Amino acid sequence: MTWPPTVGCYPGYGIDVHVHVASGYSLRYGVAPPAALVRRAADLGLETLALTDRDGLYGAVRHVRSCGDAGIGAVVGADLGVASPPADLVTGVAAPRTATAGAERIVVLAEGRAGWRSLCRLVTAAHAAGGRGKPAVTRELVGAHAEGLVVLLGPWSDVGRAVAERRPGEAARLLAAWRATAETVIEIVDHLGKGDGPRAARMLALAREAGVPAVLGNAVRYVEPADHPVAQVLDAARRLAPLNRRNLDDRTGHAYLKSVPEMRRVAELSCGPDEADALLAATRRLSERCVLDPDGDLGMNDVHLPAVAGDAHARLVARCAAGLTRRGLGTSWRAAARLEDELGVIARKGLAPYFITVADAAALIRSRGIRCAVRGSGAGSLVNYLLGIGDLDPLRHDLLMERFLADSREGLPDIDLDVESARRLEAYEALFDRFGGEGTACVSMMETYRARSAIRDVGNAVGLPPLEIDAIAKAFPQIRASQIRTALHDLPELRQSNLAAGRLEVLFRIAERLDGLPRHIAMHPCGVLLSNPTLLDRTPVERAAAGFPMSQFDKDDVEAMGLLKLDVIGVRMQSAMAHAVAEVARTTGERIALEDVPRDDPATYRLIRTSRTLGCFQIESPGQRDLIGRLQPRDLDDLVIDISLFRPGPVNSDMVTPFLESRAGTREPEYPHPDLEPALRESLGVVVFHEQVLRVVDVMTGCGLSTAEAARRSLNDARGQAVVGAWFRERALAKGYAEPVVERVWRTLTAFGAFGFCKAHAASFALPTYQSAWLKRHHTAAFYAGVLTHDPGMYPKRVILDDARHFGVPILPLDVNRSGADWHVEPVPGSGRAGIRVALSEVKGIRDAEVAAIVAARPYTSLTDFWRRAKVSRTTAERLALAGAFDGVYAPEQVARRDLLCRVGALDRATGRAPIVEGQIPIGGGDGESPLELELAADVPAGELPPMTPAEVVEAELDILGMDVSRHVMTFYAGLLADLGAVRAGDLPGRPDGSEVLVAGVKVATQTPAVRSGQRVIFATLDDATGPVDLAFFESVQDRCAATVFGSWLLVVRGRLRRSGARAVSITAHACWDLNALYGEWRRGGREAVRAALAAPAPPGRPVGSRIVRPTGFAMSPYSDIGHAGPVAGRPPRGALRHTSQGSSGPAPR
Amino acid sequence: MTRVFGDPVDVWVSDGRPVRFVWRGRLYTVRRVLEHWVTTRDWWREQQPDGEATGEREFWRVEATPDREIGVYELRYDVAADSWLLSRVWD
Repeated sequence: MTWPPTVGCYPGYGIDVHVHVASGYSLRYGVAPPAALVRRAADLGLETLALTDRDGLYGAVRHVRSCGDAGIGAVVGADLGVASPPADLVTGVAAPRTATAGAERIVVLAEGRAGWRSLCRLVTAAHAAGGRGKPAVTRELVGAHAEGLVVLLGPWSDVGRAVAERRPGEAARLLAAWRATAETVIEIVDHLGKGDGPRAARMLALAREAGVPAVLGNAVRYVEPADHPVAQVLDAARRLAPLNRRNLDDRTGHAYLKSVPEMRRVAELSCGPDEADALLAATRRLSERCVLDPDGDLGMNDVHLPAVAGDAHARLVARCAAGLTRRGLGTSWRAAARLEDELGVIARKGLAPYFITVADAAALIRSRGIRCAVRGSGAGSLVNYLLGIGDLDPLRHDLLMERFLADSREGLPDIDLDVESARRLEAYEALFDRFGGEGTACVSMMETYRARSAIRDVGNAVGLPPLEIDAIAKAFPQIRASQIRTALHDLPELRQSNLAAGRLEVLFRIAERLDGLPRHIAMHPCGVLLSNPTLLDRTPVERAAAGFPMSQFDKDDVEAMGLLKLDVIGVRMQSAMAHAVAEVARTTGERIALEDVPRDDPATYRLIRTSRTLGCFQIESPGQRDLIGRLQPRDLDDLVIDISLFRPGPVNSDMVTPFLESRAGTREPEYPHPDLEPALRESLGVVVFHEQVLRVVDVMTGCGLSTAEAARRSLNDARGQAVVGAWFRERALAKGYAEPVVERVWRTLTAFGAFGFCKAHAASFALPTYQSAWLKRHHTAAFYAGVLTHDPGMYPKRVILDDARHFGVPILPLDVNRSGADWHVEPVPGSGRAGIRVALSEVKGIRDAEVAAIVAARPYTSLTDFWRRAKVSRTTAERLALAGAFDGVYAPEQVARRDLLCRVGALDRATGRAPIVEGQIPIGGGDGESPLELELAADVPAGELPPMTPAEVVEAELDILGMDVSRHVMTFYAGLLADLGAVRAGDLPGRPDGSEVLVAGVKVATQTPAVRSGQRVIFATLDDATGPVDLAFFESVQDRCAATVFGSWLLVVRGRLRRSGARAVSITAHACWDLNALYGEWRRGGREAVRAALAAPAPPGRPVGSRIVRPTGFAMSPYSDIGHAGPVAGRPPRGALRHTSQGSSGPAPR
Repeated sequence: MTRVFGDPVDVWVSDGRPVRFVWRGRLYTVRRVLEHWVTTRDWWREQQPDGEATGEREFWRVEATPDREIGVYELRYDVAADSWLLSRVWD
């Protein structure tokens, strides 16, 4: 058989087949994206194509849109699991069950608007009935939603099974029952498996006998025959079983999108030529009937907003007028004119209900005491400001509406709300309460196969040992599955790992083919649909893991369906600031309203200018601290510019240096033309913001801001650039601008490309940036309590803790009588200062219930008392003891932590408490104790065991709390570092530019951002107790450094010092070593041995992978901005310190 | 009775179906196709598996005859190797 076969050999048989097709949205079943199936269908000359994914409509919108693009008719349905009834309801006897019973499935197709509505509601009902992860319909359920649905009974239906098992009587009865339920059609499928043909013939005979129409289907799972190994791997993955003929649905490789001649040939083999023609004709009739109209049937041509009582626009106008007065803009003619503009666009687009809804939502969230801020382009709208959706005055910050809302923008504008991350779900609940379960749903998103998950599933399918699979998967960075073999070749850390040896070639090859396939549906982290009670006619809904109703559509789908999606984004910094404000109120009684804090506090900007901004929103990364140091912000507008400059776009078109030079006064600001000065003055001639692009285009062409916004959006791709470029040149030349000026401006605009930043977005980020810095400056301890509790930033907590130490905030140790669930501010008696108390929740493995129990039963007078009343697990009690949580109980007396550890053991034995397994509720907590036993247990003589050394204390802290609380880790390596001549971070600014230095420290961050050269540059930050050391590893040194940088926690690095500003320095690294390895050498052979280790020769470098070149000319490494292989920098590895001799600390082995 | 063979045979194909074959020097004419099915290879078991394993095996159970006596024969076609075997005989 040749393949693919030629099209059109059998004209007249109809070219509509395939009423039963699964895409990759049939999880762990289908192989192809909907668009690929549609493309192939169009190539085959088919005029319609169905998509009938398993148990959901996840791919339906994509299918409909792809069909629209390809000019073929879209048929939509679903392949639904059928719950097996306990007894056969038709015959009244127990249904005979075969080995595969309970796996019955039917296909339903939707006809017209009623069919689509029924399909959505049936899928929703199937998920509600079957429980999470086990959706299933019953015949009754189908009957309840039968309007507009056609049921296809194929080999997987109860009828098909009875036919296969040669029980014709039962098959006829079951078929009759379906026909009484809904319009029913028999689907003949023959995958050429053994026995398929005769079964298809019997199925057809049944249909003919009963007078039921029969159609031909192929239960398609992939585009072409060569895809079948992927389907087979998915069969194994779905069943959690190794690849084996028994475990496969697909044993023939024939579930592909066949051409009409191929379909006819199959039917002819099993049913004869005349029946084959009849089947094709019937299939064609059915699919033509079921073609859906995206507008009329699915409602894609309209928006479906929540109902607003009365005249929505009149209400909006009234609320904006009230807002003008409230915001003190009642007399501003600028505000009045701008408002009229915005209301005009809103009226033309009929969006008043949208704005009223979003304003209600924001007000509702705030009314629950949840911090809420607007982000993104929405901050540019005066209407949003007046309605109280946002808190930035767009006129004061010179923000444009058109970037957010313009006649030239299609669809609904996008308003994003930032709320406290810790209370995000609370905000959701408020929205569900207000807008009702019938009109509200979360948006979903598909998690897709990437390198690690693909390797895991394929590894299991081919039967590799689980430990080996785990090791292989973790060796890869978080890249796409399709990059696996390229990464093996490109990345030094993988080249050296033996994975590339060929043994695993098949594993990798198949894993690559899973790339991008959906594998898990999850709740989108922020999208909420707000609509009216017709919502459930438009989207199927299932329950998300968190319990919320969730649409099966993702964010692109809901936009296409005209549904309003509000993004409610959980922002940890908002939670951190809320916690800080609450701590200030708790300890001092002062009530801070962050929104009302003056935004020009000089002390806050002085702090920012020192670059000591760890923990602050947006400006804590090494690159940002470097930029802050050079830019020296003086007000909020400077922060807006700073945030916008720290982007690939400005970096790429080299805007940062001229801007900084102009700002420093060493260079005159240059404007391509004097007309552009007003638009570019705020950034001294440099294009930084989207808004400036709009203004520049408007000035040079006179097209108006709305058209300029359309032009800006076209700059994202090469084709758009060409079209807009010609238009821009023509208009600008016609307006009399000289050609060199026009060319120069155009170059700047294209270099800016899609990378620039929306000023409204930067401004809405600048506000929390300023607020966090203000808290750090004025309420330092509370700020750290907030940051340590909610962990908003990029650094591990121990770095924040060390920063607190540098800012003179006392770190108060863990204490069962004082530590709370969160970090708290606590006055330090006698010092007049406020310290921060380590939180109980930092203890490794502690359960929330244990934390609550400890806090509830305070205070404790002794370990025994604690054991008796707090009722925590032995492991938790031991960890608390080792981390020093009982030191305060016995103070001023000192009880060795090892003694306490022994006592926990004795108490545990004495009280005979049942061991507590993680995640279980403790049972019978210590009721069997007798006073005598307790006394015996408490009577462990103190002082028999040596106290822990400082190193052992820190190791215990690192192990249990993940941070060095009592002192910095690096203090233990002072001797070695002195012998090596290592330079401390605090001394680096004093070293001359270009000098060779050796530095050492704890790795606190690694990043591979997109950089101008397109190299993969590894940026790492070390912390050596005197401050951060920023390192750059270029590709030429990665062969010898990458594995160590990613794999070690403590690093020694040699490199050349580079000065990037008045204060900022960084190191261009040449070589690096694991500190503990050197420490071992030093202990063994002293200074000579460690010097010898440093002198070992290094292999030459080579480039790491190819470059991706964007339409703007911006080159990028394919490995930029990905999660790395190896452990995260967050928590130290076990036994992080090589210092402590083995067995001298830690819980005794049990 | 069933006998199992693995003898290579020469097969004439017309319109995608076997019509005649030569086994042990005798010509057999196919009278009727009783059943036809295909299987994929167990690519995951192979030493040097070809990840693009598209090769399948076609089975044809046919009634065929060298003279007047009709027997049932199972022919196997390996697509990747483009070779036919006689796998079983019922006579």
